Amino acid sequence: MIKYLPQLIGFLFIAGLMVPLLYPILKAKLGLFLSLIPLTILIVLFSALAGLTPESLYLLPSSWGLLPEMNFGFRIDGLSLVFGLLISGIGFFIVLYAAWYMSKYERQGHFFTYLMLFMASMIGLVFSDNLLVLFIFWELTSVTSFLLIGFDHHLAKSRQAALQSLLITGLGGLCLLFAVVMIGQVAGTYEISVLIERGIHLGDHPKYRLIFVLLLLAVLTKSAQFPFHFWLPGAMQAPTPVSAYLHSATMVNAGVFLLMRIHPVVGGTMEWKYMLMLTGIITMFLGAFFSMGQRDLKRILAFTTISALGTMVLLIGIDTPQSMKAALVFFIVHGLYKGGLFMVAGIVDKSTGTRDIYLLSKLFKPLPFTSIAAVLALISMAGLPPMLGFIGKELVYDAQIQLPGMSWLLLPLGIGANIMMVAISITIFTEVFNPFGKRDPIKVKYREKDFPWYFLGGPIVLALAGLMLGLMPGMLDTLIANALYAAKNQLLNVNLSLWHGFNDVLLLSLFTVVSGIVVFIFRRSLNVHIGRLIDWFDKYHLPTLFAKGIKIYVDRAYKRTQIIQHGYHRFYLLTFFIVTGLLIVAQVNWDFLSVMPDGGYTPLRINLVLLLVVASLAVIFAVFSRSRLSAILAMGVVGYAVAILYLMYGAIDLAITQFLAETVIMVLFVMVILYLPKFAVLSTRNSRIRDWIISLSIGALVTFVVLHARFINLYEPISVYFIKNSLTMAHGRNIVNVILVDFRALDTLGEITVLTLAAMGVYSLFRFKVKKTKSKKEL
Amino acid sequence: MRNIILEKIVKLFLNVMLIFSVYLLFRGHNNPGGGFIAGIIAATGFIFYAIIFGTESVKKMIGLSSRKWMGLGLLVVLITAILPVFFSKAVLTSLWVPGDFPLLGALHIGTPLLFDSGVFLVVSGMILTIVISIMEVLEWN
Repeated sequence: MIKYLPQLIGFLFIAGLMVPLLYPILKAKLGLFLSLIPLTILIVLFSALAGLTPESLYLLPSSWGLLPEMNFGFRIDGLSLVFGLLISGIGFFIVLYAAWYMSKYERQGHFFTYLMLFMASMIGLVFSDNLLVLFIFWELTSVTSFLLIGFDHHLAKSRQAALQSLLITGLGGLCLLFAVVMIGQVAGTYEISVLIERGIHLGDHPKYRLIFVLLLLAVLTKSAQFPFHFWLPGAMQAPTPVSAYLHSATMVNAGVFLLMRIHPVVGGTMEWKYMLMLTGIITMFLGAFFSMGQRDLKRILAFTTISALGTMVLLIGIDTPQSMKAALVFFIVHGLYKGGLFMVAGIVDKSTGTRDIYLLSKLFKPLPFTSIAAVLALISMAGLPPMLGFIGKELVYDAQIQLPGMSWLLLPLGIGANIMMVAISITIFTEVFNPFGKRDPIKVKYREKDFPWYFLGGPIVLALAGLMLGLMPGMLDTLIANALYAAKNQLLNVNLSLWHGFNDVLLLSLFTVVSGIVVFIFRRSLNVHIGRLIDWFDKYHLPTLFAKGIKIYVDRAYKRTQIIQHGYHRFYLLTFFIVTGLLIVAQVNWDFLSVMPDGGYTPLRINLVLLLVVASLAVIFAVFSRSRLSAILAMGVVGYAVAILYLMYGAIDLAITQFLAETVIMVLFVMVILYLPKFAVLSTRNSRIRDWIISLSIGALVTFVVLHARFINLYEPISVYFIKNSLTMAHGRNIVNVILVDFRALDTLGEITVLTLAAMGVYSLFRFKVKKTKSKKEL
Repeated sequence: MRNIILEKIVKLFLNVMLIFSVYLLFRGHNNPGGGFIAGIIAATGFIFYAIIFGTESVKKMIGLSSRKWMGLGLLVVLITAILPVFFSKAVLTSLWVPGDFPLLGALHIGTPLLFDSGVFLVVSGMILTIVISIMEVLEWN
């Protein structure tokens, strides 16, 4: 069954593109219908779990690709399964959730198109077996997430946030492209399975540092690591289903996935360890710390997401088997609770109209099931038993303790971050859900029974999944072991359990919980300090700085461009001609004798001479004419003369085209000539003399070059090939047309695209005019 | 002022031009002709028609707006370009229907004709779009 995965991913893409057609038929049922696809993928992936052993690997090679090195092969191993299961599973609930959440939005169809495309690219990203394909999917997630984040595009804030995330992740994507190409060049293959199988490790390669830095930039930007973390809270402008999906299991985790995927090839070096540990620990602590000072439920969750991502990057940086295992488990934990909590935030928002935790209170009564789901998720976030979060946190501590030399730094910061997590979990619970709080209950617009089941189902199922996995963590053993085998390339015995016995890790957990409660009790005075710190940070607010930087850059670029792109056609022509002339002067070999044909001249043909005389006379007439119409007609004569010249040399197609084009131009000119302003001489005498000199010298130079060109034959002319193969290969006797539609079809494709654009430009310009004149008339 | 002789001539002219352009389009692969030329000729017929009868009547006659005409042409070309990929060939490779036909004898029918038809649509649509928008601004009708 798993072998149909590529088709399913393709189907997801197609479904996204088909939404405009489906939407008018299905209307409100669209989301429910679309949710079937991720559900199918989820079931297919579950079916793959059945035959999984710690070493099993299932490759789906493909001979199809855009480039020879780029095959759309798929790779199904533990690592991609862990990510794929969460992406499709949470995706399924998100689509259901969005079906109701987005029902009031006007552009619902657009939303599902973007969401489906995003989901497809995300699943493609984790399963692709080729670095170039992985890059394409990576970029696709950036683009589609841009569309999703900026979905409310009538709000300036949304647009800004979307642009910011696109620019930052786009920078990372560019770095990834360079890194991927370099890896491919160094290793000689882009296939991940081949890279791993051959045991290629680039650690000793002289270019390793460059590759690593590029990869690091890609990961840091995508996974919102310090100092690029600021795009993530900004992305909270998106509708809640988007935030829930992007920040729980997808988008931001793509960086984490990349680190694990690429680990066998570039991982484990000193640079890898120290850089990842450093950014990871800073991000982890900062994220947790900032989440304390926030009021908006979604922003709190955003900062805790940053912290969680920092944790995962840190764990991958520690790079022991224990830490990798912890990172994988933590990813599952985080996806489950964060997806649920974001959805809860959306439910709360829909039901009360606010997400401010200090306005919300006593939501247990109107929203009982949601509250239970939220509490379970919060327990998981705080890392308390019996949720999976507890196991995850234990493993994280375990990994941090076991690292000799660095644990003195990692452990305090890690514990600090976790204390904050505990405190923020308790804060959310007491402020928002606690039925015994002091404050008056908030007025609710909708109660739980007003919502459909599919709107509420997501958080509850995710929370229950977290609980079930927490009670029976053994279910994950084989999967994690296989994922570790893929990421670390060594076989490990994974044995997850809730109770580890009474050891130092458990002591640390106890300490964390107690400190968390203490922090919670003193949160009011603490929040004042954190608020002050945040204000101080706001002075150097990274998003504003970023926006400013972009603005300065654009302004500068604009000013620079103004110098050369001034908008005066005459000066463009002048520049063009002068530069071309100078280039010719610099290049051409000034030997006039060599230009003359040594084989003598062909005899003069009287009809040709007549034609040229007529054309020349027409040109002279056009130049000195005092009337615009006669000048244009004279130019028409030149055009027809050239067409006849083509005819004489046997270029019939060219001649016909020239005739027709001349005719159409004439008709157009005659049409508009009445409306042009009166013919007048506006240029000064000096400028006319200047133009005379330039045009005459350009004419002379071009003549010279044409004469010269006859003697330069660097290669055999391509026309010989065309003549030889036109009938045999392209089945056509008209070589010109065969070139147009077959040999050089790409050129034609480009040309007609340009033609269309030009026509659309003309059309829109005139449209503008027409509207203006019409509105004037109405006045 | 109506000029009935001119109107009759233009109607005839349009028909002749259209038939001629299709003829050129089909013979283009072996003899002078092809999408570009045929497109211009078809457009010329319409232009003269528009000059006499006004742009509205041309718009009515072609049904689809000339802009959509261009889009359709681009779509046809794009499909032609992508089609070979599904036969595991490079993009834009020509595909040929093999063999002889019962009544017509040996014929080479392939994607180049489709490609040329797309070019035809784009070129004629482009000229018509430009001319019609100019004529509308000038209020030719």
